[in-house]
Amino acid sequence: MRRWIAQICPAVFVLVLLSPQCVLAQWVTWHQFGTQGSYVHQTAHLLLFLSMLFFIHEIYYAHLQKFRGFRLLVWTWALLALWNLDAFVGHWADWTLENPIILGQGWDRHLLMYDFHTWVVYFTKIDHSLLLIPAFLMFYLGLKALVRKPGAE
Amino acid sequence: MIALPLAPLWILEYLGAFIVLILTCLSLRLSRRLVDQDPENALWLFLNWLAIAFLLFSISHLISHVLHDLIAYWNHPQLALLQRVFGGFDTVIYVVIAAITLFFHRIQRLYRRMEADHHHLEETSHEILALNREMEALVMERTMSEMALGMAHGIRNPLHVIGGFSHRLLRKTDEDDPSRAWATAIAEEARRIEQMVERFETLAMRKTSFFAQEDLNLIVGNTLELLFPELKAKNISLVAELCHEPLMGRFNKHLMKVALAHLVRNAVEATPRGGTVLVRTAKEKQFAVLTLQDTGRGMPQEVVEKVFVPFYTTKIGGTGLGMVFVRQIVDEHRGVITLESQVGRGTTVTIRLPHRFTDSPEVGDEVPPAAPPAAPAAPSTPEAGSGQD
Repeated sequence: MRRWIAQICPAVFVLVLLSPQCVLAQWVTWHQFGTQGSYVHQTAHLLLFLSMLFFIHEIYYAHLQKFRGFRLLVWTWALLALWNLDAFVGHWADWTLENPIILGQGWDRHLLMYDFHTWVVYFTKIDHSLLLIPAFLMFYLGLKALVRKPGAE
Repeated sequence: MIALPLAPLWILEYLGAFIVLILTCLSLRLSRRLVDQDPENALWLFLNWLAIAFLLFSISHLISHVLHDLIAYWNHPQLALLQRVFGGFDTVIYVVIAAITLFFHRIQRLYRRMEADHHHLEETSHEILALNREMEALVMERTMSEMALGMAHGIRNPLHVIGGFSHRLLRKTDEDDPSRAWATAIAEEARRIEQMVERFETLAMRKTSFFAQEDLNLIVGNTLELLFPELKAKNISLVAELCHEPLMGRFNKHLMKVALAHLVRNAVEATPRGGTVLVRTAKEKQFAVLTLQDTGRGMPQEVVEKVFVPFYTTKIGGTGLGMVFVRQIVDEHRGVITLESQVGRGTTVTIRLPHRFTDSPEVGDEVPPAAPPAAPAAPSTPEAGSGQD
């Protein structure tokens, strides 16, 4: 299974990077980003997502999940993995949103939810905060548990 | 059509980013404490690096999102360049976190392997210690036995002379001679000493408990049976040519197995897949001969010369004590080990073991030569007289 993942992941990565824009890139509408930086940024999110999964796998492989500190760290990585997916979708939605209709001035500004795309942008921004705070809280609590007693179950 | 306020979104976003910043600062402090507790723990080092990366991420993330909102919703297009810079930095941080995590994935593997090696080394160390103790006990006991037997042998010869002369004196002395009582006392005391020597000798003989009458073929057979899976795993053919008749001798079965197992494992390590390891036993005059031959890579002459030098090893992680112990075990059996090797052709180890270790010429030399009763020495006491038959 691991070998399969190790072979498939780089293959998909290379395929996405090297594919003609009108095929795979168009499928995820990346061609509208327009800059190389946006590609790199999104790829970095995918890489981060994969590394989070690897870490969770590693914790279970080493049987470290029996310790409270590492269990909390697994939650950190799981939430960060979710945040990465959310950020990937959120960036896509945000960067491809053309001519958002903003009503009002200053702090009273409102976003007109005229299509599904706008809803995605709005809610991925909320998820963004809702996932990152618990993730880093778990990271802090996990480290605290490890500092108190690394072997505590 | 609904219009949702952006202010709660911004407040939530900046408040969230600020809380994340505080949490990463606190986490970094904790990870530092973990590293301080155990600076060589790879896991703590990884978490510390990760905490640093997270702190940078939280700062960069907060700035780039503020810039993005300022550009998108507050009409500040002049900040676009700055946003790209921080966006790029964000990307780098993601890659760094991913790299640290993936690097940890490999480090963790290495760490586990190092731990396994450490345990293996500890086990080997305990085994060596136990073996060493056993060898020491064996050497001490055997030395004591040999000394006791040698002493008994050495005492008995002059004792025979004293006893013989005292009896002759008794025969030649008249019944009313006052020195007859002295000769009787000498004869009786000589007999008493002789009895004591006999008891002492019997006890000394029993002291060879570390060695038992064993068949070398059986020892070799049992050891090869244990090691067969290791040879099979490497697809190495094992050819065992055991002597048809039993090769009985006084052997320490356990030590012999240890020595043979070490030699076979060495041969397996040196032999490539599909090679052959030959184990042969034979009888050669008063010796049982054990030959172990492999078709491995062999060793150059300079290595062969150092094989029995303590702590000399060509293996990574080797102790350099294996062959030293093998030779010591062979030595304790009063045997001789020889090693011949040719680069690219293989190595042959030959062990010659006497059927009984006391048969070894070295032992014979240690035992005082028995004085023939026909050539008695002159009595040393003035009272004993100076007559000869």
